[in-house]
Amino acid sequence: MESKRSPDIKKSPIISSILSMIIPGLGQFYSGSLMRGVVFFITVLITVLMVRWWGNDLLYTGIAITWLWNIWDSYNFAKDRRLSYTVPFLIIALILYIIGWGVTEINIPRLLTDIADIKPLVTNLIKPAVLERDKEILKAEVLFELPCSESPPGKGEPIEDKPYLILIDKTCGEPGDMFTIEGGNFWPNSKVYIWWSNYAGEMAYRIRYKGDYLSFETDGEGRIAPITVPAQEPFAEAKGKGPQLWRVQARMTREVGSPHLSHTFFLVVEKMIETVFLALMATTLAIFLAIPVSFLAARNLMGGNPITISIYYIIRTVLNSLRSIEPLIMAIIFVVWVGLGPFAGVLALAVHSIAALGKLYSEAVESIDPGPIEAVTATGANHLQTIVYAVIPQIIPPYLAFTIYRWDINVRMSTIIGFVGGGGIGYLLQQWIRLLMYKDAGVAVWAIAIVVAIMDYASAKAREKIV
Amino acid sequence: MLKIKSLTKIYEDGTVALKDVSFEVPDGEFMIILGLSGAGKSTLLRCINRLIEPTKGNIIWDEKDITKASDEELRKIRRNIGMIFQEFNLVERSSVITNVLSGRLGYVKTLSSVFHRFPKKERERAFQNLNRVGIADLAHKRADELSGGQRQRVGIARALMQEPHLMLADEPVASLDPVLAHTILRYLEQLNQEDGITVICSLHFLDLVRRYGTQVVGLKDGRVVFQGLPEEITDQRFKEIYGEEAERITVT
Ligand SMILES: Nc1ncnc2c1ncn2[C@@H]1O[C@H](COP(=O)(O)OP(=O)(O)O)[C@@H](O)[C@H]1O
Ligand SMILES: [Mg+2]
Repeated sequence: MESKRSPDIKKSPIISSILSMIIPGLGQFYSGSLMRGVVFFITVLITVLMVRWWGNDLLYTGIAITWLWNIWDSYNFAKDRRLSYTVPFLIIALILYIIGWGVTEINIPRLLTDIADIKPLVTNLIKPAVLERDKEILKAEVLFELPCSESPPGKGEPIEDKPYLILIDKTCGEPGDMFTIEGGNFWPNSKVYIWWSNYAGEMAYRIRYKGDYLSFETDGEGRIAPITVPAQEPFAEAKGKGPQLWRVQARMTREVGSPHLSHTFFLVVEKMIETVFLALMATTLAIFLAIPVSFLAARNLMGGNPITISIYYIIRTVLNSLRSIEPLIMAIIFVVWVGLGPFAGVLALAVHSIAALGKLYSEAVESIDPGPIEAVTATGANHLQTIVYAVIPQIIPPYLAFTIYRWDINVRMSTIIGFVGGGGIGYLLQQWIRLLMYKDAGVAVWAIAIVVAIMDYASAKAREKIV
Repeated sequence: MLKIKSLTKIYEDGTVALKDVSFEVPDGEFMIILGLSGAGKSTLLRCINRLIEPTKGNIIWDEKDITKASDEELRKIRRNIGMIFQEFNLVERSSVITNVLSGRLGYVKTLSSVFHRFPKKERERAFQNLNRVGIADLAHKRADELSGGQRQRVGIARALMQEPHLMLADEPVASLDPVLAHTILRYLEQLNQEDGITVICSLHFLDLVRRYGTQVVGLKDGRVVFQGLPEEITDQRFKEIYGEEAERITVT
């Protein structure tokens, strides 16, 4: 940063400050420091552009002060006095910090006011759906016609000992019409939901009314008091085909039997196994490719002639560019290429690991001590023996250490690579979070925490052994 | 008899490390190469077993020109030349016994040696040599657990595995304190006197030169500036080798 200026040419402080008044930095440039001038000019320019873009005019005062300081500096600079950068640096930093605070929408009070929003998430994460009980379903139904034909269906009638449903006021109508049902022989004092299904019965959903699912409590004898239900729109493929029959159902469920491991649990275990294998495959594939690559990227091995040195530079450049691409972005590319699923994840992690390990391995090769190689050569050993006795013992420990380190990273990455479709537990986790199924998400989160902790512990142990 | 004839070494960057060096080492001598750091001692010793390729000149050992040897012949020649180093050059992470056995690689089958399998008699030989330098009890320690003096003894044991006729020692005691220096040099002296191994050892303490050497070659800037008996190095001679401002350094 130190400026070069020719001492014999006298510069006028007045001209210097006037120049800096016109364009910040010009005075310093005139007084002999290109560097100081350019740094000033670019800093002020970028700050002005940022303030304009952000649109808080108050911040211009800061720039004005910086500009004044710059005029004062160029006056002094022409007199060969150097001011310290502290003042303008602090002002510019403050301006950028204010803009940055706004750009990132930092809002500390919200942390407190909206704290209730995370409650369902946290409580459900604490109670993950690891255990569940079997569900027993009790169901009754009655037919409804949409729209009315000449011979609409009957109202249905009470049945002894079995749950039943009957229509009270009408048995046919238009979508949106309200009709009344009642029923009996259900489980007493429990909740019943009303469902709408096509005649074939393969498409059904729970009816909503004013935003909530339509539901009622049965009385002490298992009766459903008369309730009004809105007739639903026919399903798309049934539209315009004349009068059709639909099923109106009352369903209730209860849990029976003792708790057992949930479906979610088994799903998570399965995906977790996939996750660990994903990390394992990616890491091992990367090791096999990174070892030869690392020799090509080691300066001490490739420095010999122009051809090898250019291979060295090409490999280094490729490794550096690959390493700069985040694995998640790489996964998106591979998902487009080979489709959703773990294979895309393996490829993304493997490519990133080759780049990372290739570099670390090659640095290990570069830092080997030539002394033992020389000593073993001097005993009359051949090349192969020299490599086995003098080179490999030196590179094995760093190779192992870097591989374990990479393995740790890949285990972590493999748990989230599914967020972009790369397979593993992340795919489930992301879906459950979007569907607000926090109890299931909780199982996945716990599984990730436990597996990562175990792997960390194992690799820490392994590291102790080799170092 | 080892004859060095007009040996010249010019490194790729143009450094002339040795310039027309000639001298002879009769069998059974304890030859000292004396010189300041940068004088070319390491280069000279490494040219003898061609760890460094000489630029010009010949090295004749028992009527055979080492500089003209093929790769295979060179390996055979190297087997008979032991070498120990200032920095010991052990494989730090390997065990002492593995380091010592690696001295025998020139004699054993490549395939089995690659899998670290050595015949029983070679393992016995390794223990004998460790015994000889007094550290048989350290055989299964890792080299990086040893002290400097112990490491250099492993270096000697490794060289002894070769059953060498010639021993090159490149400043073997420069990294050791004076007491240990004597211990190590006494081992070399013993090899020289009892086993009849010719020793060529670079040093830069005059006292050690007088105590152990039977012949001295003084090097300065890659040239031979002195050749003769240790007693013949007068203070004047010493200054020629070490420069005018040099003082005689004494070690006890
Ligand atoms: N690999 C090399 N490339 C270029 N110059 C070297 C190399 N090795 C040694 N030299 C130079 O050759 C000269 C002799 O070095 P060296 O034989 O190591 O001397 P000594 O062992 O007596 O200290 C020194 O000037 C040194 O800088
Ligand atoms: Mg040296």
